[in-house]
Amino acid sequence: MKDSTVAIGTALPRADGPGKVCGTEKYAADYYPEGMLWAGVKTSDYAHALVKEIDVSAALIIPGVHAVLIHKDVKGSNRVGVPESDAPVLADYKVCHKGDPVALIIAESREMVSRAAAAINVEYQALPAVFDPEQALLPDAPVLHENRADKNLLLSGAINKGKGALALEECTFSVESEFNLPAQEHAYLETETGVACLNDDGVLELVASTQTPFRDRMELAHALGLPATKIKISAPYLGGGFGGKDGITVQGLLGLAALNSSGRPVKMWNSREESFKSSSKRHPARMHYRLGCKQDGSLHALSCRIVLDTGAYASLGGPVLALAMEHAAGVYRIENTYIEGFCVYTNNPISGAFRGFGAPQVLAAVEQMIDMLADKIGMDPLEFRLKNAVNRGDELGSGVLMSRSTGIVACLQTMQKHPLWINRRQWEKDAPPFKRRAVGMAAGMQGTGYGPVVADVANAKLELLVDGRFRIYSGVADMGQGNNATNVQIAGEILGQSAAAFELLQPDTERSLPSGSSSASRTTYSFGNALQGACRLLKERILTRVCQMGMGIYQEDLLLVPGRVHHIPSGKDIPLTVIATAMTDSERVSVNSYTAPVARHHEIVNPAVRAAGFPHLVFCFACHLARIEINELTGEVTICDYLACTDGGRVLNPQLYEQQIQGGIVQGIGYALWEDFKVSAGEILSSNLSTYIIPGSLDVPDIISLPVETVEDSGPFGMKGIGEIGINLPYPAIANAVARATGRRIKTGPLSAERVWQALQAEEEQ
Amino acid sequence: MKKVLFPLNVEEMWSMWQDNPEAGLLAGGTDLLVKLRSQRIRLKTIICLEKVKELQQINTDGAQIFIGAMTNHQQLLENQVVKSRLGCLHQAAAVLGSPPIRHMGTIGGNICTASPAGDTLPPLYVLQANLELVSPTGSRIVPIEEFIYGPGKTALAPMEVLKQVIIDLPVPGIQTHYHKVGQRKALAISVCSLACYMQLAPDGSVGEARLAWGSVGPTVMRFPEVEALLYGRKISLDILRQCGELASQKVTPISDVRAGAEYRRRLTANLLIRLLPD
Ligand SMILES: Cc1cc2nc3c(=O)[nH]c(=O)nc-3n(C[C@H](O)[C@H](O)[C@H](O)COP(=O)(O)OP(=O)(O)OC[C@H]3O[C@@H](n4cnc5c(N)ncnc54)[C@H](O)[C@@H]3O)c2cc1C
Repeated sequence: MKDSTVAIGTALPRADGPGKVCGTEKYAADYYPEGMLWAGVKTSDYAHALVKEIDVSAALIIPGVHAVLIHKDVKGSNRVGVPESDAPVLADYKVCHKGDPVALIIAESREMVSRAAAAINVEYQALPAVFDPEQALLPDAPVLHENRADKNLLLSGAINKGKGALALEECTFSVESEFNLPAQEHAYLETETGVACLNDDGVLELVASTQTPFRDRMELAHALGLPATKIKISAPYLGGGFGGKDGITVQGLLGLAALNSSGRPVKMWNSREESFKSSSKRHPARMHYRLGCKQDGSLHALSCRIVLDTGAYASLGGPVLALAMEHAAGVYRIENTYIEGFCVYTNNPISGAFRGFGAPQVLAAVEQMIDMLADKIGMDPLEFRLKNAVNRGDELGSGVLMSRSTGIVACLQTMQKHPLWINRRQWEKDAPPFKRRAVGMAAGMQGTGYGPVVADVANAKLELLVDGRFRIYSGVADMGQGNNATNVQIAGEILGQSAAAFELLQPDTERSLPSGSSSASRTTYSFGNALQGACRLLKERILTRVCQMGMGIYQEDLLLVPGRVHHIPSGKDIPLTVIATAMTDSERVSVNSYTAPVARHHEIVNPAVRAAGFPHLVFCFACHLARIEINELTGEVTICDYLACTDGGRVLNPQLYEQQIQGGIVQGIGYALWEDFKVSAGEILSSNLSTYIIPGSLDVPDIISLPVETVEDSGPFGMKGIGEIGINLPYPAIANAVARATGRRIKTGPLSAERVWQALQAEEEQ
Repeated sequence: MKKVLFPLNVEEMWSMWQDNPEAGLLAGGTDLLVKLRSQRIRLKTIICLEKVKELQQINTDGAQIFIGAMTNHQQLLENQVVKSRLGCLHQAAAVLGSPPIRHMGTIGGNICTASPAGDTLPPLYVLQANLELVSPTGSRIVPIEEFIYGPGKTALAPMEVLKQVIIDLPVPGIQTHYHKVGQRKALAISVCSLACYMQLAPDGSVGEARLAWGSVGPTVMRFPEVEALLYGRKISLDILRQCGELASQKVTPISDVRAGAEYRRRLTANLLIRLLPD
């Protein structure tokens, strides 16, 4: 009876598909309210300077310029950022990087905004600046935030497990290396944008491209000096987020503009260059690793030092470091480890959340170390990983207990049986002239959720509408990953309804309920859990009501089917419309709160790192394989085939699952081969997409994604979040292949054609 | 707001231009609009060449091909004569930009932009293309290597327009190729490129050879000494390496955000090796 296409495990077409494809779905960027003004900023010319005077008079006399605002016009704290509130809405006494906004212009057109920006005169007193995170840690380095006791150190920590680094001396074999990874730009299609208006009731209404509408509301209240009840934010589908909209981007400026626009709506939409300048990036990382094993190939000791450059403001730098440390030893049992990490302020562009959240950097390093060590002892890299990989009940090298579904061994075994792995040597041998071929692999994981200290709470709300359909009030933004579509599938399964029975309401601080951020691979896990409860509650209520309508006393006699309730003994059907009208307004709405479980038992790190999210409880796992071909004449790398085996628990929708895996891998391939966010003395050299190279469709191969299903009993229908895991492993898998092909380790990313060519040169000169 | 004028023929174009002497010319706009957006150029009036009928057609009389300046890269790519007789130009059009760019960008715009990275330029150099320039007072023919004299610098006089590109169709026995290295497989500005034109005798020895490199100097570069090395020789790895060594000493690449000079120098040599028969 049930519409089978909704069932969990089937490829239900995405609920957001048709609207997006036809262009009828409205993104934040699509809002052009009537009578609107444009807002835009003048940014700092200096990477580090005191702001002496801001003269806006020349800008104000430009016809069409409505207002020019500076820090003095901000009535609240003028600071945003979570957990550290250190980034100004408008720079006050100083600027800390070249993207810092110094003045906000409101004008009739974008052109007038840029003319006004050029006319604003800012007098600076230049300060010495620091662009290297190691130098920023030196005692005499210029300090960005004078009020901080730790000066430029945002967060540091250490894990010392077993005998720590000393155990390296007990190893029969060991390897040592250093890795440098650049910043990565999110490069979402929709740059930071929104519209805002102060309505007649004095409520500031924003429509913004944001992963965090509820948190933004609290932050704006604080920064702009308004009660939160006077702020309303809605978050339509995002044109991409990837972590770059995990928090305030333009919302502070937009809010401020709308408070000063005489009631007219205001729109702000960053150009690509403004987006590159102002938005956060993946943290550039410097990592030094030592890894050792015993004669039999069992890993014994790891020591590493991780330095992350968080740029001018903290953003989510602390939590990123915590997650990096947690993932720094990979998916292996290692008895003795020493992992130290530093997240450091510099006058570079800001780094923050980005899909993978610190894991892509450390996995790029540790997975290359694993290959190096496997080579050294002459063991097959896959066998070596299998020998050391964790099972449920084991502890990771970082000291984190694997107490939930743990499918890494199954992933590795799946790869081991795949023809791409089995036939790898022959394929390598068949390389055409002037080409070299190699197959590389890597394994890893991604912790999901917020960690042990910050409550990971979701609140689902569901309404039976009088027309017999259901409205799901989503509390978590959908930035393209498809969580809304999955909500339909979860609710459809429990309520026995077809997809057409559901109306989706995008997160809105007035109508839906706070459910945390769209991030951390937790969106479907946490909100889905909350939604399951809300569905069961409402189902129960509907069936109870039907009983009360004279259908006996046994709910077991009733079946919820599309549009109706079926009474099995009598064969009678009661339409949901009838039931809905019999219910009161509040009865038709169910609400359910869910708090994700946490790992409680860990004292292995310092409290500050623990507070930043160490450790996680639920992990997804994966191993990837890349077959690459290097052009000896040019150093160009072509990915010929790609395989990903992923344990993301049960697959709720194979199509959405595959889209997440593929999307992550493509972004990871970009990180590995091309994406080089070049910054020199705080100035961005790759200032837009003509010089910041992201992969195009011809640059990525067909990707084979094999789900290796475990059942995660804490996840809705056994699922775990897979929004991030895909991006974690392309770098090391490709790097391991490049090393195999060239005989050299390229220690600085990305593995550009020029660097690969240099590696080939170095080999020739030997 | 900008004024955009759409003359339908050359006559109309002159009169509109004379009325608006400060106007700029727009072909497909894929270079011009980028410069306007970044304010490297400011224009109040734009004359759009899209509808000027004399600039549109591709014709051939059997010995020569006449390619109107407004021919876009997609039309170039699809043209059968270009495909069968001017392989290097066809290959260049195939790797230029992406489908939307190929449908907008024109050969005239590529030439007048005069970027050392322009993809149609090395082929036009080895094909010894001639350019017909027209002005209200008449027309003149200029060989492409005399037309471009620096990055963005051309011999266009004030109120002069590139009307068409004239190329002698190579006789049978001539092979031409274009090879490009960019930072990715499509939508990539060339980091180094090479066009070649080779006359091959039945025994495989090279008669006339022409080689032109892009992105390794202020303009597309040809070196008679390198070309002479090939004369009378059969193509071999050895001879191509010799040519490459010499050429890599002669090019004058720069380091920029896309690639280093040393790498470009090496590519100058290595791209020649792609000329080895499969
Ligand atoms: C995303 C992107 C990717 C690109 N990729 C490539 C690439 O891979 N390879 C490449 O070579 N180029 C590339 N380009 C550059 C550009 O597309 C080409 O140079 C194209 O051929 C320009 O032609 P157009 O018709 O668009 O020129 P326009 O922008 O219209 O004009 C360029 C200049 O030439 C002048 N002009 C045009 N026609 C005439 C004429 N008949 N007489 C006199 N002056 C004239 C104009 O006044 C202007 O100054 C790319 C551009 C973009 C935006």
